[in-house]
Amino acid sequence: MTYGDFSQAHHLPKQRGDRGPVDPKGLPRQRRGITPQMHGRYPDYDVLSQQGHWDEETRRVVTDRVDNVPAIAFFAPDELETATAFCDLVLAQDEDPRIPVVNYVDEKLAQGRGDGYRYFDLPDDTETWRLVVRGLDQEAGRRGAERFALLAYDDQLEVVTRFSKGELHGGVWSLLNVSRAWSVTTRYALEAFYSHPWAWNEIGFGGPAYPRGYSRFGSPHLQDAERETWEGAQAFDVDPVEDVAERGVE
Amino acid sequence: MRRRSLVKGSVLMPTDNDSPFLLDRHRRGLQNLDRMAHYREDEEIDLLVVGAGAGGVTLAQRLVRAGWKVVVLEKGPLWDPDRDWVSDEKGSAGIYWTDKRIIGGNDPIELGKNNSGVGVGGSMTHFAGYVPRFHPSDFEVKSVDGVGADWPISYRDLRRSFERIELELPVAGQDWPWGDPHSYPHGPHPIAGAASVAWQGARGCGIEMRVGPVAITNGVFGNRPHCIYRGFCLQGCKVNAKASPLITHLPDAIEHGVEVRADSMAIRVEVDEASGRCTGVTYVADGSEHFQRAAAVAVCGYAIETPRLLLNSTSSRFPHGLANGSDQVGRYVMVQGATQVAARFPIELRMYKAPPPEVSSEQFYETDEARGFARGFSLQTLSPLPIGWAEHVQADGHWGHALREYMRDYNHWTVLGSLCELLPQPENRVTLAHETDQYGMPVANFTHSLCDNDKANIAYATKVMEEIWESAGAQDTLKIDRYAHLVGGCRMGFSPEDSVVDSSQRAWEVPNLYVVDGSVFPTEGAANPALIIMALADRVAELLKAKRAGPVPTTTRRREKASLAS
Repeated sequence: MTYGDFSQAHHLPKQRGDRGPVDPKGLPRQRRGITPQMHGRYPDYDVLSQQGHWDEETRRVVTDRVDNVPAIAFFAPDELETATAFCDLVLAQDEDPRIPVVNYVDEKLAQGRGDGYRYFDLPDDTETWRLVVRGLDQEAGRRGAERFALLAYDDQLEVVTRFSKGELHGGVWSLLNVSRAWSVTTRYALEAFYSHPWAWNEIGFGGPAYPRGYSRFGSPHLQDAERETWEGAQAFDVDPVEDVAERGVE
Repeated sequence: MRRRSLVKGSVLMPTDNDSPFLLDRHRRGLQNLDRMAHYREDEEIDLLVVGAGAGGVTLAQRLVRAGWKVVVLEKGPLWDPDRDWVSDEKGSAGIYWTDKRIIGGNDPIELGKNNSGVGVGGSMTHFAGYVPRFHPSDFEVKSVDGVGADWPISYRDLRRSFERIELELPVAGQDWPWGDPHSYPHGPHPIAGAASVAWQGARGCGIEMRVGPVAITNGVFGNRPHCIYRGFCLQGCKVNAKASPLITHLPDAIEHGVEVRADSMAIRVEVDEASGRCTGVTYVADGSEHFQRAAAVAVCGYAIETPRLLLNSTSSRFPHGLANGSDQVGRYVMVQGATQVAARFPIELRMYKAPPPEVSSEQFYETDEARGFARGFSLQTLSPLPIGWAEHVQADGHWGHALREYMRDYNHWTVLGSLCELLPQPENRVTLAHETDQYGMPVANFTHSLCDNDKANIAYATKVMEEIWESAGAQDTLKIDRYAHLVGGCRMGFSPEDSVVDSSQRAWEVPNLYVVDGSVFPTEGAANPALIIMALADRVAELLKAKRAGPVPTTTRRREKASLAS
């Protein structure tokens, strides 16, 4: 299946039952700016092009995520390989360009500042991450690979599927509540990915909005007329023939 | 019709709080910090407030106006929104209380960004902005519904306080038909596409909704500007349009002689063993311990930190913690069931625009025996930004390519949330863990489990939200079970055996110790707690004012102050 009209919901995983998600390669290639894996719904939208409208403090924080990727300080080299493979699988980053999720996970763990709570049946977040990495390597060992990162993609997928369902047992997994460890580790990964402006390009999020704010915030009756002039249009809202002529490109 | 429903906007201004005029139109930080009072630690001040949030700052502002010498200790920084806050989700981690806390029970409550603030302004710096009142029935839940507890005060005791605080925040919204019908000082904000879909869906099910009530200026208010609808309410309002005590009460309090000591973590309330009165508070600042003397202490640290501080304040007279002779401190902590259901529509809604709080309904607030459980819930629209949306999608069981697909669909979605009144239970409590924090103080252990009534309430609210989306024509839905707000833990009651404080919020066991925050709630209603906490502080201040009347400080008149600030 390809995508088609986004006013329909056929492309959404729950509407597709057992068929699994659509292959995102059917989406348009990004033409301006970068999205993770270069596909997205807003091919001509680059949130970073709006940074002249952001306040200085916010601009520094957001552009740093692109320009100053933190060096690895928490994970040991072996751990890093497994953690990277895990993060890429959770976020379906199967080719470049990738958001360096593991670097931001690593940075937060190295700072040791958690999110303000720890489940009674888990150790601190830092230790939970180390145990999960060891646990994933343990699962790889059970499948004949030395480390998780060396497993075939389908095997990695199967291990993470079982992790997401809390179905991993024995060895390292007996040291923590597996379901909650899934929730804690994926929370770090999601935060790293969806705080990155490349991900905002992919989903069409407006990004920082101070001091400009919004003047057109949507009415079901007006639709496109209610989009800010600088906000991106969805690819399939655009007729490709007219679009090319309008923008004066060949 | 009362006058207030006719006179809206900047025509009505508070008479005993000049804060909006003491701000600058073009800068967000407080402009009168250079006039902040300073007290010596060995001077016995009239009142030492612990915690600069909704309760603490409101109480301080009222009492300094009455001539009291007041110092406020705050664990976090004194924010300058221009310098310290960003228009970004992840970059806002610093405004949440992220020190270690341990959560347990059958239904553990995630803390941090969801419900815990730090720094001057407290959790209101990042609350969504909903400020509904309690209903009159909230104060007599035990008598009427046979569950929970009664309050030792009634709605009538708080009504004037509600009105005063609503004027000071100020609150924008439509005339309110539920509970005690009332109107708001500012008219309703325009609503965005995302919320109007919910409105239509609710109407299709015969459910009434109303715009607001939100503590966001609709029009300029003093020197506070109009909301710019940028949608980052939960990340700290860089605009100064959304209310928090940092801008609604502190500027005026500074003008009348309050001292706020930021970056100061209270670790013990000290007592005089002979008299049983408290003498002041030991706190940590700049890496060393300090002690501030005070004639009275008001603990305003919210539902986790207030019990934690009292439990840590042990002495031979109070071996189990201060004011804990009946083992009530830390018990009956409550959260609200806040399950959210997101819905997908054919058109783009771009829910990141406009404030997350827009329209709400209290049609299901009161007990309806036909539903099979006691008490009820509210419905409110919400609009998570990308990280919040990712957590929502993940909670529905999606990761990998499925998660990315739902995330790419972000602009077609909108979210309805519930606030279910969960019942107070003694075992939902804060205790001290064996681990200690960076101040050497034991960290809080918070256990929480739902009872059957709670589960039935949440399930019913979820069903109603799903019906609303079906009626609106949703193409797909995603659900997340979560909780919001924290109240209880030092409840007010009728006797020392059933509570920590009396109806004036004074500790039964310590005559000069007060608790003025959300921890005094005996029940939680189905309303967001901010307005109620501020109204309680207003009421306590009314009761206290006359008790220690120092010389009233000479105050500049409003016009002169406005020129000072500009």
